[in-house]
Amino acid sequence: MTTFIIRRVVWTIPVILLVILMTFLLMREIGGNPFRRTERNVPAEIQRNLERQFHLDKPWYVQYAYYVKGVFTFDLGPSMVLRNRSVTDIVKDGFPKSLKLGLLAYLLAIAIGVPLGILAALKPNSLFDYAAMFFSSVGFALPSFFVATLLIYYFSVKFGLTPTSGWPITFWSFDSRVILPAVALSLFPMAYFARLVRGAMLETMQQDYVRTAKAKGLRYRRVVGLHVLRNSLIPAVTATAPLLGLIVTGTFVIEFIFGIPGIGRYFINSVSNRDFSVVMGITVLTSIIIVIANLFVDIMYGVLDPRTREAR
Amino acid sequence: MVVDRREAALPTAPPAVGAAGAEDTAAGAPVAQASLWKDAWYRYVRNKGAVAAACVFIIMILYCLFIPGFWKIPGIWTSIKDYDPNQVNFSEAYAGFSADHPFSTDKFGRDLFARTAVGGQISIAIGFAATFFILVIGVVYGAIAGFIGGRLDNAMMRFLDALYGLPYLPFAIITLAIIGEQNFISMTFALTIASWFTAARIVRGQIITLKENDYVRAAKAVGARWYRILVRHLLPNTLGVLIIAVFLELPGVVLGEAFLSFIGLGINPPTASWGSMAQDGRAAYVLHPEVLFIPCLAIATLVLCANFIADGLRDALDPRTRET
Repeated sequence: MTTFIIRRVVWTIPVILLVILMTFLLMREIGGNPFRRTERNVPAEIQRNLERQFHLDKPWYVQYAYYVKGVFTFDLGPSMVLRNRSVTDIVKDGFPKSLKLGLLAYLLAIAIGVPLGILAALKPNSLFDYAAMFFSSVGFALPSFFVATLLIYYFSVKFGLTPTSGWPITFWSFDSRVILPAVALSLFPMAYFARLVRGAMLETMQQDYVRTAKAKGLRYRRVVGLHVLRNSLIPAVTATAPLLGLIVTGTFVIEFIFGIPGIGRYFINSVSNRDFSVVMGITVLTSIIIVIANLFVDIMYGVLDPRTREAR
Repeated sequence: MVVDRREAALPTAPPAVGAAGAEDTAAGAPVAQASLWKDAWYRYVRNKGAVAAACVFIIMILYCLFIPGFWKIPGIWTSIKDYDPNQVNFSEAYAGFSADHPFSTDKFGRDLFARTAVGGQISIAIGFAATFFILVIGVVYGAIAGFIGGRLDNAMMRFLDALYGLPYLPFAIITLAIIGEQNFISMTFALTIASWFTAARIVRGQIITLKENDYVRAAKAVGARWYRILVRHLLPNTLGVLIIAVFLELPGVVLGEAFLSFIGLGINPPTASWGSMAQDGRAAYVLHPEVLFIPCLAIATLVLCANFIADGLRDALDPRTRET
């Protein structure tokens, strides 16, 4: 078990390096020395000094090495557009807000999606099952920006229950502004969980050991609780990994609509400002989060289902 | 007879006859496979939801293709004027629903019935184009990794793991920024680059499973070369998975295009796509919600149909994984 975890953790390092490398190369491709002569008219000597300070006079692999060092020491360099702000400042400012949004949505998705899937699977082809699966299909199909706008239209504009935009300042403060973005973002993962848990439950219920448990005369509750649930929630755990990517993507749009000053909004603004050090910093950060989440899920999976340890 | 007619209705009756199939008359495979596809067809038709979804899907595509500009069906559409989707007419801004404008008009007075169709052309075309390239890359990458196996497979899959770490939307946005312009080709490219990984994984998994089959071993035993095994025995058998994958990938790409357009990184105006129409509609949704709702509902319907079709196809083509 320990070797499995160690091996898996060690594997993560080259993956992170590769992800940084790809982002780095992509960013170089977009181009641009931030101190190009065309952008700011500075004397040649100052230009050289600036380039030296930010290692822009070195070959690309040295720059890459400096950047990797920066990532691991939480120094992502200065913003190219916003003066006196470093990328780290921006991330520090925006990341907790995005994290809170993502976590809230994720918890909401689990809290509703998983029970929905379980209940649907317990009575397959019942009215409830059809309703739950219909809800799930719709949740898959509706674009989150549409859901968000619908929610604002009805709950904020028509009924005036919540503000249309904004976000609490600190991480631990909650108010009514949190509700709509979290709900809008949670719909897709909720649908995903419901469908996944239902499928896994149905599959498990056909296993021999469940039949044996029933044949032994165990009570229904015990069969479901002990044999079915435990074995069918594992797939739900693994599904977490791709979902995180989806939630990150979702936050970008949701933050854009609700005016939440998270990293997604900084990202979109930075793309239109061509502030590529911020774009790169945020991309690298979200990538690392996804990679680490994948690692976490793999280890969880290994703990829950020993058969997968050898395969990985 | 009935059976024959249904078989004729099948678009791809003998799927395995690829490039190598022409000179190969000895193989009995086509007969068996025709019945496989017939079976699949029967199973699909029995699934009411999937059939309904396919019908709606086809109707939507026909609507997008034939409504704008060219065609009018005599006696049915005569009450609707043939509007140019980009024709600005301020006196008719936000005209509301009417016989003239079944989907109302936007803030420039452009007819949304025509505009939704044109926007759909772009959205669906990007969707299918990106899906196509996703599958092409996926097949090549997955087939190489799965077929050769061993260290190369391991390395290729690790690389894919790393790519999985890249978040989809930022990746697509960066790609767009590198290209520097936003048009049909760059959007397709960005969406392809950002989302081909899953297809590659699926193909690889399928190839690895197929490789263990007895007929592959038999082919090897009679001395078939590796490319013959790959082209003749392995790739045709991934066709079913690929057809399903088309409808699994399509929703993601259509939604991705909509997201990009919605945050202002889509195709440049005045060219419409459903995402950019939604973005236009967002400015005035409080007073004129229909301008936002129509493109969004179009996206949702398309995605919903694609999901149902994918489910139906999976049940039809791969009965082993069917849910009870």
